[in-house]
Amino acid sequence: MFEFFFRYPIPVFTKGRFILLGTWPGWVLLLLIVVAASLLGWLIRSRLPEAAPRMRTWRAVVVWMLQSLFVTLVLLLLWQPAITVAELNSQQNMIAVLVDDSRSMAIADSGSDRKTAREAAAVKALNDGILAGLQRRFQTRVYRLDGGLSRIAKIEEVQPAGAATHINDGLKQLVADTADLPLGAIVLLSDGAENRGGIDLDTISALRNRRLPVHTIGFGREHADHDVEMDDVSVAPRAMADSRMKATVNFHQHGYAGKTTVLAVRDGDKLLTSKEVTLGEDGTIQTETVFFDAGAASVKSIQFSLNPLGGEENNVNNATARLVSVSGDKRRILYVEGEPRWEYKFIRRAAEDDQEIQVVSMLRTTENKIYRQGISDPSELADGFPAKAEDLFRYDGIIIGSVEAGYFTPRQQELLREFVDQRGGGLLFLGGRFALADGGWGASSVTELLPTFLPNGKNTFHRDPATAQLTPAGAESAVTRLVDDPVKNIERWKKLPYMMDYQDAGTPKPGATVLAEMNTSRERLPLLVTQNYGRGRTAVMATSGTWRWQMSQALGDPTHDMFWQQLLRWVAADSPGRVVASMPVQRLMDDGHVRLTATVRDKEYVPAPDARVVAHIIGPESSSALVDLIPVPDSAGTFQTEWTADKPGQYVAELTAGRGTDELGRDVLTFERTDAVAENFHTEQNRELLEKLSSQTGGRYWNTDELNRLPNEISYSEAGISVRDTKELWNMPIVFLLLLGLISGEWLLRRKWGVI
Amino acid sequence: MKLLQAMMVALIAAVFCTALVAYQRTADWGYQPEQSNVKAEFAWSRLSYTSNMESRGYGGFGFGRGATWARDYPKADRQFLIALNRLTRVQGRPTEQVVNLDSDDIFNYPWVYAVQVQTWSFTDEEAKRLREYLLKGGFLMVDDFHGTADWENFMNGMRQVFPDRPVEDLENKDEIFHVLYDMDDRFQVPGEQYIRTGRTYEKDGYVAKWRAIRDDHGRIIVAICHNMHLGDAWEWADDPEYPEQFASMAFRVGLNYIVYGMTH
Repeated sequence: MFEFFFRYPIPVFTKGRFILLGTWPGWVLLLLIVVAASLLGWLIRSRLPEAAPRMRTWRAVVVWMLQSLFVTLVLLLLWQPAITVAELNSQQNMIAVLVDDSRSMAIADSGSDRKTAREAAAVKALNDGILAGLQRRFQTRVYRLDGGLSRIAKIEEVQPAGAATHINDGLKQLVADTADLPLGAIVLLSDGAENRGGIDLDTISALRNRRLPVHTIGFGREHADHDVEMDDVSVAPRAMADSRMKATVNFHQHGYAGKTTVLAVRDGDKLLTSKEVTLGEDGTIQTETVFFDAGAASVKSIQFSLNPLGGEENNVNNATARLVSVSGDKRRILYVEGEPRWEYKFIRRAAEDDQEIQVVSMLRTTENKIYRQGISDPSELADGFPAKAEDLFRYDGIIIGSVEAGYFTPRQQELLREFVDQRGGGLLFLGGRFALADGGWGASSVTELLPTFLPNGKNTFHRDPATAQLTPAGAESAVTRLVDDPVKNIERWKKLPYMMDYQDAGTPKPGATVLAEMNTSRERLPLLVTQNYGRGRTAVMATSGTWRWQMSQALGDPTHDMFWQQLLRWVAADSPGRVVASMPVQRLMDDGHVRLTATVRDKEYVPAPDARVVAHIIGPESSSALVDLIPVPDSAGTFQTEWTADKPGQYVAELTAGRGTDELGRDVLTFERTDAVAENFHTEQNRELLEKLSSQTGGRYWNTDELNRLPNEISYSEAGISVRDTKELWNMPIVFLLLLGLISGEWLLRRKWGVI
Repeated sequence: MKLLQAMMVALIAAVFCTALVAYQRTADWGYQPEQSNVKAEFAWSRLSYTSNMESRGYGGFGFGRGATWARDYPKADRQFLIALNRLTRVQGRPTEQVVNLDSDDIFNYPWVYAVQVQTWSFTDEEAKRLREYLLKGGFLMVDDFHGTADWENFMNGMRQVFPDRPVEDLENKDEIFHVLYDMDDRFQVPGEQYIRTGRTYEKDGYVAKWRAIRDDHGRIIVAICHNMHLGDAWEWADDPEYPEQFASMAFRVGLNYIVYGMTH
């Protein structure tokens, strides 16, 4: 129909450039149009007094517009309008036909009966004329696309058995392989179930650089009738032993809105936690949060699953797994306390029940005596608070109790700043009569570390009761979580016994998070405030009276110890070591390519670009490899390497950094290669991805019922060997119809208005 | 007739004396030591308990009165607090706090001192409260009981609190003797009677016993000073006739026990 009126197919207009073939310049045309319209307007206006009364209204404007459009169109035709468009030369170009033959293409939901396998529908579409149509004008190459890209001689060789779909990699490979060939366009027949999530910018750029249009043909339903599918699970890849972990689970469903199912978290056969969930609206991503115990130190494959519902079309996509490396390394926290007090005792007792935390404390018992607890050897802290970075940076966290800023030398105060900023440690300030503003911290250089602006002056510490309550941020924080349910958590905090004392910590700084507040007899004040600073974190706990939570609640109540263990873990758990290893993803889907990165710092946590970094990788079936990491230019202390995990299974990579004969540190990474798992997810046709791919490359997404036009329209491409063709527009039927329509339209209106 | 009158007088006198003793056993004498409103981190807490030895009296206040929970109260307490504030960085309240096991108020005072514990007795509820107090993190120091009989009587009460926890002799290397002062050379600290008798012991308590009960983590929760009278040493520390080495030793023991109780 379009071509009947416009003479040329749509791509001519979408890809072509409009030009005027007339020799007179275009501005003359514009001028004449304006002059003609003005003259017509003047003429009509001058005759209005003599015209019938009915024409003295808006009808005169309509007549002027119709006449002006007619004149404009005639003038335009005099200037010989045309479209210039690039067109592939016949028999000189090649068209690449990529057929997705991954396992998801075997799903029988295509064709007019919706029972034909996607692969079969694709093959049928090719055999029904597309391939023949293309071959009449171009050379064609047919490729099989799954985890990789391979050329096939016959279309019948395509079998939907591929364990993965890597459209991105396939296109990239095709662009590289055909760099010397006159490739004119790409036709992709797929369900769009790209296992890696999308097409990256590099691939799009490579296609656009060669002006290669990708024409996509989608197969499969765009959503299942009855299915629950796990979309994503977000959980920390590392954890301390026995820590409480939080996971955010995203999933969606079709056909089960309002039904309930069970979200379960398992470590092997052991059920860690479960939660009943009510399914939301069809197609809507639903997010649920679950908490579970990390357990003992080891590498765990934690499985998240939704119990299958009756009639589900695909049960395999109800579960997914994540690797979590649970570390048994003790975190050491240096606690400096200026006076014997109960809070000190009860914090220490709470920490003693946590096998993963070691509190090393120095307590000023008299003016000249320091009592040390938790030390590793008699020399530790024998000279008091460390004065050298390498001594202080051995700790993962620091607690400053009721001790004046003046107790620390300027160098030690600077070390505190470097400890947080450079080393990435956690620093916690407690309330007390020598703490915060009363301890002169507001006037010290350390004040910039604090998450609050301390009040001016002193007398901010009061030995009066105060009760605690959570803020919305605290209700869901891992630090203040006494009960998993945020609402119940808020209620639990309200029932805590009052604290013996409180301190005004001032106002929170921008970017700081207030997790808990306290109600005093006079006002509400921040109790627990946290913030990130540099590579580390700082916090203020503006009381020394939480010990009543232990003494005034029932014997065995875990509240006090749980809170302090969580807070101490927050202080120390995320403090990085001197070597930090990382990789973009820890779960490799059908592809063993990994990029290992290590950041290396020396004993003073200064980047060490001169280090030697080696990765010792141990894989399945006792395979092992030693890989050197290479310094990354312009990023001091960063090292990288690329490696391929050939076999599916779990891998452990231990990265060791050394300088000369000294070892600077080491870190361990775990990752897993899983084959033939990703293909079970996102089995619906990803039309959005296919449409985006074609629109970004100048191609088009095709429905199966319009494929007969593909062989002709594909030729409008600037890739390969093409010529720019000029197509005149004056002889388009639509032009004559328009001229006729304008004239007859005016005549009909005049008749209707009775003014002929 | 005169005989009858004399008998009547004697009877009235006997009734009066009996009533007086009974009143002394159960009632407040009306004497309240001067208290302070100062708020501080540490409050010296003295345990008030029900005595099982009626003949020894009960409830007496005043310096040096009978062998009850209030023995040496409050002078010993206050003199010790002076030393605590002068010699350590512990912020101690200038006046003492009397606590009992009848209410949960004791949980606000995680360190408590008790004397003459051979006379204590507990109801089941009191024993339970003391047990919970100690297991939650409270610390109990007992002092001023002497000899075999006193030990047995003390243990009768202690077994109500902890039927199964063993009592052990502390060794020199134990942390409680080093937390503030190194106290490897300890000796028996006598009460004020030493001035008159020259004896360092009372009854058959010839040798000072440094003992303790621990919690499941090995922390001392009950520190037992048997066959010594530290409270008297604190109380009479300002008496020129009371030997300085006994007072000094008593203060060091008390300070170590407090610092230990505030750190473990």
